[in-house]
Amino acid sequence: MKGKVVNNLMLNDKYYLMEIESEDFVNKAKPGHFMMVKAQQYDYLYDPLLRRPFGVCDIERGRFKILYVLIGKGTNLLSQIKTGSQIEFSEPLGNTFKFNNEKTVALVGGGVGIAPLLFLAKYLHNQDVLVDLYYGGKTEDDILLIDEFKKYCQHIEVTTENGKVGKKGIVTSPLSENIKKYEKIYACGPKRMLQATSTLAINHNIPIEVSLDERMACGMGACLGCLVYVKNDQGEIEQKRCCVEGPVFDGARIVWE
Amino acid sequence: MSKSLEIEICGVKFNNPIITASGTFGYGIEYARFIDLNKLGGVSVKGISLNETTGNKMPRIMETNAGMLNAIGLQNVGVEKFIKEKLPLLKKYDTRIIVNFWGKSIEEYVEVARILDETDIDMLEMNISCPNIKEGGIAFGTDPKMTYSVVYETKKVIKNKPLIVKLSPNVTDIKLFGKVAQEAGADAISAINTLLGMAINIETKKPYISNITGGLSGPAIKPVAIRMVYELYKTVSIPIIGIGGIMNYKDVVEFYLAGASAVQIGTANFVNPEISIKIVTELEDYLKSKKVDKITDLTGKVIA
Repeated sequence: MKGKVVNNLMLNDKYYLMEIESEDFVNKAKPGHFMMVKAQQYDYLYDPLLRRPFGVCDIERGRFKILYVLIGKGTNLLSQIKTGSQIEFSEPLGNTFKFNNEKTVALVGGGVGIAPLLFLAKYLHNQDVLVDLYYGGKTEDDILLIDEFKKYCQHIEVTTENGKVGKKGIVTSPLSENIKKYEKIYACGPKRMLQATSTLAINHNIPIEVSLDERMACGMGACLGCLVYVKNDQGEIEQKRCCVEGPVFDGARIVWE
Repeated sequence: MSKSLEIEICGVKFNNPIITASGTFGYGIEYARFIDLNKLGGVSVKGISLNETTGNKMPRIMETNAGMLNAIGLQNVGVEKFIKEKLPLLKKYDTRIIVNFWGKSIEEYVEVARILDETDIDMLEMNISCPNIKEGGIAFGTDPKMTYSVVYETKKVIKNKPLIVKLSPNVTDIKLFGKVAQEAGADAISAINTLLGMAINIETKKPYISNITGGLSGPAIKPVAIRMVYELYKTVSIPIIGIGGIMNYKDVVEFYLAGASAVQIGTANFVNPEISIKIVTELEDYLKSKKVDKITDLTGKVIA
């Protein structure tokens, strides 16, 4: 697929939010989906080589957004793409978050992992679900899109490790205080945070879905480079492809190490 | 589709010379949702072994400059499951099916080949060159005596299909291995597999891949592959299938000029799942513009 970049906004020194016009993509995208995005603007450039996976952060009126953090060649090239340029990307890939008529849910996000949770918050809000957000970052720079989240969330709890924004500490602390009120938890962010959140959820017998971010080459199930280990109903460990059977998994079934 | 791209290798007719490379295209069917498999000349499926294997530990892939390292470790469902569950789905398409296979011992190579020989696939591709597993794989591809033995013994049980031997670039002189494979009975050669490489994270001081080393693929390896196809063409009389960093039709033409009779597209499928089909169209246009009747007219026509 191809689309027009209608905005490539620098949120701060680390993070960018890119808005792309593609009716086709938007019609297919559901909360939890991701896509592979080509960072280079020219076909003859092969470095970086692979497309980059990004979760769908938001969709609106024929446009979708991706949130990215500057970490390497690919994301630096993405940051240089000018408004009005064409960009190539795959169709929406992977599975999606699941819903079971829960009325009160918590979203737990960290850093750039907050991306798919915005799309999810909007969707759940539109289904009259009461949504609370627990959002953790290392510093104030990692706390993004709060005004957007406010539109869809009843209550937002922010934590940072340096305490400059929100409470000082990690996001599982405020979550653990309120956890009993939720029928389901959805999480996306660093693995350690996802593991801690899953442990909390398991201990309180609350269903949890986590969206994982693994290194990917193809994004369509062929390369087997993005495996995740999960326990099946019999407790046996199985290999799952993050790109096809994920990126959303039952947090209680993931084998973290 | 014009006739200019039709080729025949060891009696097998292909609509075009673009084959997707083993390990980069799953069992073919993973891509059916994204592209029309009927437009591909052929598909070389993931390396099949006697028993199901789960591959190496994660992380298994890492991007490098104009390339990538992988140490998947030949993960596959095993030959029986492949024949029962995967092959029927792939057979629905009008594309030639090449099954890449491997074993941990000569006996295993022979057994997998014997089983596959009875199926309605088109060709067998023996993998003696995967750098990512300890037993088998590359061990057979880097010792000329072992190369001879495994090809010779396997060829004895293959009655119905042509045998391609996929060579390793991780040797001092690939010509020797091409010659040995041909003498042992290979009907064709495919070259090259990935180059053994390594990448280290300077923050953690740990290798990026759990297996420490991995196979390097992508445009970064193309000049090595071209050189090896060129050397093999001067050495063997059997057809050579060129592999290594092909990203567009120009790369295909280069492989042909070096001596290839067909090509396989690997890592480029990861970059863009539609790339193989795009290359078919581009190649057709190129031949037309150059007034070349048949792509095979280009094989080995480098002026050196």
